[in-house]
Amino acid sequence: MANTDRQVNELIKREYEHGFVTDIEADTFEPGLNEDVIRRLSAIKNEPEFMLEWRLKAYRRWLEMDEPDWAHVDFPKVDYNAISYYSAPKKKEDMLQSLDEVDPELLKTYEKLGIPLHERAKLAGVAVDAVFDSVSVATTFKEPLEKAGVIFCPISEAVHKHPELVKKYLGSVVPVGDNYFAALNSAVFSDGSFVYIPKGVRCPMELSTYFRINAANTGQFERTLIIADDDSYVSYLEGCTAPMRDENQLHAAVVELVVLDNAQIKYSTVQNWYPGDEEGKGGIYNFVTKRAACIGNNSKVSWTQVETGSAITWKYPSCVLRGDNSVGEFYSVALTHNFQQADTGTKMIHLGKNTSSTIISKGISAGRSSNAYRGLVKFGPGAESARNFTQCDSLLIGDRCAAHTFPYIESQNKTAIVEHEATTSKVSDEQMFLCRQRGIDAEQAVSMIVNGFCKEVFKELPMEFAVEAGKLLEVSLEGSVG
Amino acid sequence: MKPAPTLSSAFLTPGSQSLPQPLLDLRSQRGTALADMPLPTRKTENWKYSSRHLKLSDELATALPVKGKSGPALAVPGYHVVFHNGVMVPEASDYPDVDGITIQRFADLDDSLASELAERLDNTLDAKAAQLARLNSARFEDGLYIRLAPEAVLDQPLFVISETDACSSGSAYPRIYVDAGRHSQITLVEEYISLGDEPVLVNAVTEFTLADGAQVTSVRLSAEGENVQHLGATGVRQQAHSRFDSHCVGFGGPMRRHDLQVRLEQSGANCRLNGVVVTQGKQHYDNHTVIEHVAPHCDSEETYRNIAADQSHAVFNGRIHIHQDAQKSNANMSNKNLLLSTGAEIDTKPELEIYADDVKCAHGATIGQLDKQSIFYLVSRGVDRREANTLLTMAFINELVQQIPVESVRETTQVRLNQFIEQTFEEA
Amino acid sequence: MLSIKNLHASVEGKEILKGINLEIKPGEVHAIMGPNGSGKSTLSQVLAGNEAYEVTSGEIQFNGKDLFELETEERAREGIFLAFQYPVEIPGVSNLQFLRTAVNAMRKHRGEPEMNAAEFMKTAREVSKQVDLNPEFLKRGVNEGFSGGEKKRNEVMQALLLEPKLAILDETDSGLDIDALKVAADGVNALRSEDRAILMVTHYQRLLNYIVPDHVHVLAGGRIIKSGGRELALELEEKGYGWLGIKDDDAQVAG
Repeated sequence: MANTDRQVNELIKREYEHGFVTDIEADTFEPGLNEDVIRRLSAIKNEPEFMLEWRLKAYRRWLEMDEPDWAHVDFPKVDYNAISYYSAPKKKEDMLQSLDEVDPELLKTYEKLGIPLHERAKLAGVAVDAVFDSVSVATTFKEPLEKAGVIFCPISEAVHKHPELVKKYLGSVVPVGDNYFAALNSAVFSDGSFVYIPKGVRCPMELSTYFRINAANTGQFERTLIIADDDSYVSYLEGCTAPMRDENQLHAAVVELVVLDNAQIKYSTVQNWYPGDEEGKGGIYNFVTKRAACIGNNSKVSWTQVETGSAITWKYPSCVLRGDNSVGEFYSVALTHNFQQADTGTKMIHLGKNTSSTIISKGISAGRSSNAYRGLVKFGPGAESARNFTQCDSLLIGDRCAAHTFPYIESQNKTAIVEHEATTSKVSDEQMFLCRQRGIDAEQAVSMIVNGFCKEVFKELPMEFAVEAGKLLEVSLEGSVG
Repeated sequence: MKPAPTLSSAFLTPGSQSLPQPLLDLRSQRGTALADMPLPTRKTENWKYSSRHLKLSDELATALPVKGKSGPALAVPGYHVVFHNGVMVPEASDYPDVDGITIQRFADLDDSLASELAERLDNTLDAKAAQLARLNSARFEDGLYIRLAPEAVLDQPLFVISETDACSSGSAYPRIYVDAGRHSQITLVEEYISLGDEPVLVNAVTEFTLADGAQVTSVRLSAEGENVQHLGATGVRQQAHSRFDSHCVGFGGPMRRHDLQVRLEQSGANCRLNGVVVTQGKQHYDNHTVIEHVAPHCDSEETYRNIAADQSHAVFNGRIHIHQDAQKSNANMSNKNLLLSTGAEIDTKPELEIYADDVKCAHGATIGQLDKQSIFYLVSRGVDRREANTLLTMAFINELVQQIPVESVRETTQVRLNQFIEQTFEEA
Repeated sequence: MLSIKNLHASVEGKEILKGINLEIKPGEVHAIMGPNGSGKSTLSQVLAGNEAYEVTSGEIQFNGKDLFELETEERAREGIFLAFQYPVEIPGVSNLQFLRTAVNAMRKHRGEPEMNAAEFMKTAREVSKQVDLNPEFLKRGVNEGFSGGEKKRNEVMQALLLEPKLAILDETDSGLDIDALKVAADGVNALRSEDRAILMVTHYQRLLNYIVPDHVHVLAGGRIIKSGGRELALELEEKGYGWLGIKDDDAQVAG
């Protein structure tokens, strides 16, 4: 009934909560990209020679590559020379020893974002690495983590302190020439988080990185590397926001996970980059490569993502299941509204015996947005008795949005079994009538129904983030009841 | 980067000139347009899994010689039209001459009908999605034109036997155009068969247009020899409340491909697409289907089953596209696959592209082997293992075979499937 | 409490209700009987405010308020409850969450404090036992995977929880076996009170053996053609709808 549609639409008039700008003096490179820029970047970070070489190699590969055009997204060409590749708050020459030295403006910024960094106020049980534009500005709970043997630090610091680990694993999962955006990231990445969980250690707390883009006309190119050694476990979360600006901004991150024997990484993302305004102006281009190498036997990776932000999302957190009995999971909620475009999904590459994977994808499209699931499930000849189950559901809110499903399924092993199901539906008039007959107003009804639709994914998130994700969805859906 | 290989110009020289002028003109136009056409590669999305099997060498460009008369006597029950290397053999054909039903070879069309046809050919097929269907338009030497006047009903299935005589290397381009008028009815059976052992290419295109309330049943059996590459395409456009019912049966070859595109253009149009494919040895088969829900209140139901044995390769790509404003569309797609050997490969891609919200769409796909529990159950009841495999493999596709509405095709299919199963489970 | 005057309503342009008049007072139990297609369900949907049904003329007063001025959820908060003939599934939303949201929406409307989760859980468990539903049902998705009988009992449970002023039961007996019917009837009887009215819509009089109505109305062709007491239902059962000159396609009419 048209009336339900109108209600849903009214509900989705979103207010972006994190759209403020922090007024802070910054060192920012002039826009432009060439080998000199990369040399300067590497020099500012005082990087060892091997890093510079690595970056230059990536840059040269990137020059030979073409921007991918296969995703179901549409945007004007990015001018890579109009972007600044480095921006950092001033006074931050060396690594910080104490949070007291962090610029109070920055602390206020994170406070406002709900991520207090001070010891007395910080989130209980969650260690935070706060990345502001191109640099990490603070990392909490360093000591208790060190005691447990866990390394959790900005990657720029890891390059100096743990070069052997960086050399061994950086680019081992996502090679420099893997794809256009990964090559660009490899050439110009500025900071990000580094995690190493030693053998047999269960990380005593949740680790998280909070990414904030602040400066205008800059790109953010962070790089995350997490290594879970034999028999270890870590749960890692990332959150992202950016100011409201009329120009599009580029975010091209690379995340590499290395999982050894019997180890497990749980990686959760709540992505809320600025999505652009109601007319589709502005917003972040979120072009991200995330991949896990389940090298070890019995290793496991769970990707859970709640994607509500960004003007354009291009992102396929993947698992290469090399170790026997390794397990890959992908739980995703992607919500698009107004003119947002998302092309997201996963790749599960089964190489080892008895490997198994689960994909649960929930896409919600509202307004004039476009939301695509794109996924690959592949069983190599050695994937004896491998299994995959995929469920992709799309929910449409309003008659001018689009929902797509592009699953690729390839099998070369007769004992492997894959099951794939997909459905598309809308919030039904009957459901709305039932809720309203019970006294629940339309707005609450839609939010309840959408939350119910996403339940299988939310239950995979750590508790406090699940609540946040639910709220985020509510905010993002405002004005969409249609 | 290496420039992508293009279609050899050798392919652009048609053979026989004995067609009405408007069709000759169309042919040469299409030929010109194909000059330097890049051949599909692994990077071509809709050829991702099949480009490596496609071998368009120059020797295949030659038009296969046309004999005046058909070679073998074909025992076909009922109405039939025989094509030999893409050219009709009237002496071997037998079809009714009834009011309201026109059945004519392209070569015999008068100029006005021919120019009307030239206008309409290729209108049902999206050139991008079925690139190589255009090659047929540049090369056909004859074809079958069928027109049903409003309310006309063909009382028995019409068989179109396309026989390729591979006495030498070359290619053939069978072509069919069916114009089904308002509330008309027809069952068309296309059988593709071959003689001889030389490597050949068959590039076949069939088009259907269905006016309001027309009911068309299409049965397509692709069963040529191991030397035949088959590139087939079927295009369908449907008006209000028309019904298109398709049954495709395919046996693998060095390169086999069928593109099936259906456009539901007015409310109430509906289609059912069934498909069965089996591949063995080093065979390949690729089915690409597209259903376009253009208008509201249309239904589509699609069921494809593949079985791949030995080192063979089966591909299914099914796309459902619900256009904006095609509200109240119902679309269901199911693709199940049986992978009988680890040397074999199955690739499937069931796609949904949806731009309307009030729709019911679902697809499901599975790849697996025969259920071990079921085999065990049968064996425990004294059935031998080979027999158990046979029974379960047949059960996997039987439902679709039973739905084929033409008995002789059902039987042929059954016989071929039995051969397939016998060979596949020989050593088991 | 409820006063319906000359109500006309249509669905997709087709007129179904052709002038309904009905008065219901607090404490009364009314039964509306009629063959399939007579407009019984339409009447209950119109009362609850389903927008798929268009009211073309007439008026309805509910406790002094013009019902047509109220949105669906406002009617619910004023105390109109509809037990659905075909309860809707809402995947992923637990019964408990759904009901607590509803109960708190009502309480807020009445200016009462919201119930916290623990408090609500306790109440809900008690009520679920009253309709012989395992409290585990509260954790499952709304009507998700429920049997027909469970869905109907779930509806009655919701009525008990939401404490409406007017409970409309649309074919609550259909699809129930005799034991389930008794349980559902017990639940409905527990609803009966001096300040609450119940409107039952049913094809068969079977339900009326367990929930004895004060008034029975026969609906046919979009109008109430006969009204009476309990005995009218029994007479209908004995003689069938044909007795009143009503055609009914259903052979099993009135039992």
